[in-house]
Amino acid sequence: MISLRRIGLVARRDFMVSVMNKGFIISILFMPLIMVVILAVVPKLMAQAGAQMDVEVALIDRSHSIADSLRRELDPATLRAAREAGQRRAAEQLGPAGARAASTVAAAQPSIANFTVRELPADANVKDQTDWVADPNLGKQQRRALVVVPAEAVVRQGDAPFGTYDFFEPRNLPQDSENTLQGAVRQALIAERLRASGVDPVVVRGATQVAPARTQLVGADGKQSGAQGLNRALPFIMGILMFMGVMIGGQSLMMSTIEEKSSRVVEVLLAAVSPLELMWGKLLGQLGVTFVAMGVYLALGVLALVQFAMIGLIDPLLLLYLMLFFLTAYLVYGAMMQTIGAAVNQVAEAQSLQGPVILLLVLPYILTMFIGQRPDAPFSVIMSFVPPVNAFGMMARLASTSPPPMWQVLLSLAASVVAACATVWFASKVFRVGLLMHGKPPSLGTLIKWARMS
Amino acid sequence: MSAALALQGVEKSFGAQRAVDGLDLVIPPGETCGLIGPSGAGKSTAIRIIMSILFPDAGQVEVLGRPSALDAKDRIGYLPEERGVYRKMRVGAFLKYLAGLKGLGEAESLKRSGALLERLGLPDVLGRKCEDLSKGMLQRVQFVGCLVHQPQLLILDEPFSGLDPVSVRLLKDLIADERRRGTTILFSTHVMAQAEELCDRVVMIHKGQKVLDEPMANLRRQYDRSRVLFEPLEPRAGDAEALRAMAGVVRVAGQDGGFELHLDAGTDPAAVMREVVARIVPARVEIARLRLEDMFVDIVRRETGGESVEALRHHLQGLTSGETQ
Repeated sequence: MISLRRIGLVARRDFMVSVMNKGFIISILFMPLIMVVILAVVPKLMAQAGAQMDVEVALIDRSHSIADSLRRELDPATLRAAREAGQRRAAEQLGPAGARAASTVAAAQPSIANFTVRELPADANVKDQTDWVADPNLGKQQRRALVVVPAEAVVRQGDAPFGTYDFFEPRNLPQDSENTLQGAVRQALIAERLRASGVDPVVVRGATQVAPARTQLVGADGKQSGAQGLNRALPFIMGILMFMGVMIGGQSLMMSTIEEKSSRVVEVLLAAVSPLELMWGKLLGQLGVTFVAMGVYLALGVLALVQFAMIGLIDPLLLLYLMLFFLTAYLVYGAMMQTIGAAVNQVAEAQSLQGPVILLLVLPYILTMFIGQRPDAPFSVIMSFVPPVNAFGMMARLASTSPPPMWQVLLSLAASVVAACATVWFASKVFRVGLLMHGKPPSLGTLIKWARMS
Repeated sequence: MSAALALQGVEKSFGAQRAVDGLDLVIPPGETCGLIGPSGAGKSTAIRIIMSILFPDAGQVEVLGRPSALDAKDRIGYLPEERGVYRKMRVGAFLKYLAGLKGLGEAESLKRSGALLERLGLPDVLGRKCEDLSKGMLQRVQFVGCLVHQPQLLILDEPFSGLDPVSVRLLKDLIADERRRGTTILFSTHVMAQAEELCDRVVMIHKGQKVLDEPMANLRRQYDRSRVLFEPLEPRAGDAEALRAMAGVVRVAGQDGGFELHLDAGTDPAAVMREVVARIVPARVEIARLRLEDMFVDIVRRETGGESVEALRHHLQGLTSGETQ
């Protein structure tokens, strides 16, 4: 008879050994720390470190027309207004709650460079000016660039298309300054081409720009349900969480089983517990470890959402589903990895058997991206019922903009439970025999033979 | 009272190889039974079946009145042949963990572990990591692990293999204590001398089949009429030569300050003994008792026609692995 007390003791030992392991503590603390540094600290540091850049632009304008337009485009007020408009659009994309996030992102952006345009004679020597651009004696915040605009860039020569311009820059011109400058040259060229054709560029610009729509996601009950940007990322985020959780737990299970087998402590344990108790104890112990790891990441995610005032966008029911589907996926993959651990003698031998299992884990994870984009496509619906893809597939659909009906969720969950039971049953058979087998690592055929033998 | 351990018609095969073949075994409570046979005879497989680590293909197992050891594991102490420890764990934590799995409380397990370790000459190892102990020390720790919960049935698979003589003596003393406590003991060995020393009864296994099941008291009453043991009262240089010259004596071997006379087939040992006494003043003269090793070799010889009997004898004496207890 299965003893819950013994399962509990095995689980507690496995859990404690894993969470008290230095490697686990470091990885669990360092990963979030690195994420915080990357997402929050680095942009701020970069923004603060980047004092305003002075960029002197030499212009050889052989069309004799764009200098004024270019100066207008590079005017600090114009550049500031363009950036603010971009931030407003981003805030609208993220929904009403995203305004704070947008302002946080804006604060982390580098300051806009100060551009001065120096027009040179149209027949000036380009070679002399390129040396001027690459002058190594410039100050730390000083940069130079050269723009050469031929006449055909503004006025077409016969039926030939418009020509383009030449741009010369030093190696150390910051990316954002280059983007701003080239964007300004393009806008100035378009304006002058229009003017040369007798069209008012202000009218054209006004007529060709449409601000992004004020998107509102409306559920069946008519309520607004969230912002499109975040909703589209949710299936992907859920996929990552499940993938990471299953990988952490599965790997740990395999390693600890190999350790127990190779150190020959396993038969000492089998004197006190049945193979099934040992297997379940280890499964539950490592499940606890995985919950700790996932809990840390989930807590960080929730904190980030609270920070950006977007916590309301996450449906608590989604987290419940995540736990349920994760549990079934963990049992399927964990039992498989445990089987591998019991079948081999050393970590190196596990690699060939581990390959197909990892593939079975990566495949659903990749499919989540497609399923998340097209949650109602027949392929997505079918995949959300086929183990072992279904746990990932259904989570992607649940987190998508078009959640499935309840009966489909329950059916998928039932399929997951059946798959988990079948895998654990098979694994327990192989586990019992494999633990006592030493010698060359078994093939898949041998594993099936062991299951029959047991 | 029912048997502490009963096996009936137990069979187990691995592929085409039959590891245990129709094994019947009954061990009454309090008895010490030796399961003997060479390596590969099926002893460990039989023990794993008893422990429900493996399931038999056919046959019945009853352990401490239960149909499976799974229902009685808390009352069984098992020391497997292939035994290990969690190398990073401290000895105290390891023993507490094993005792906990057997249902023993934390305080009691530490108290008993401490006492047993002291008995085995390891008084200060509770706080040390397993990886810091020598192989011999670890084997003693493992022995404590299977005794700490005071089992009713103790199953020891090759318990002395790889141990130094001092550790063997300490372990034998502990086994003797368990016998006095009334524990039923089943222990397997391929070294016949250990079985002769420790067991109430001996069960021999060869190629998965039981070939002998006798109380040691009966076996001790069986004599080998082809060997005479002789110890002179006052040993002299020419004794061996004089004995070798006697009619019917084919070989003389020195043994424990005396001699072992191997007789020709058909020679009457009583006649040789009379002749010996007439020539040299004896301190002791007797017909040799039948040794387990001889019985086993005889059984195997009948089956194999004498092939590799010497290698088998060598193995059963434990000489190949240096076990000279």
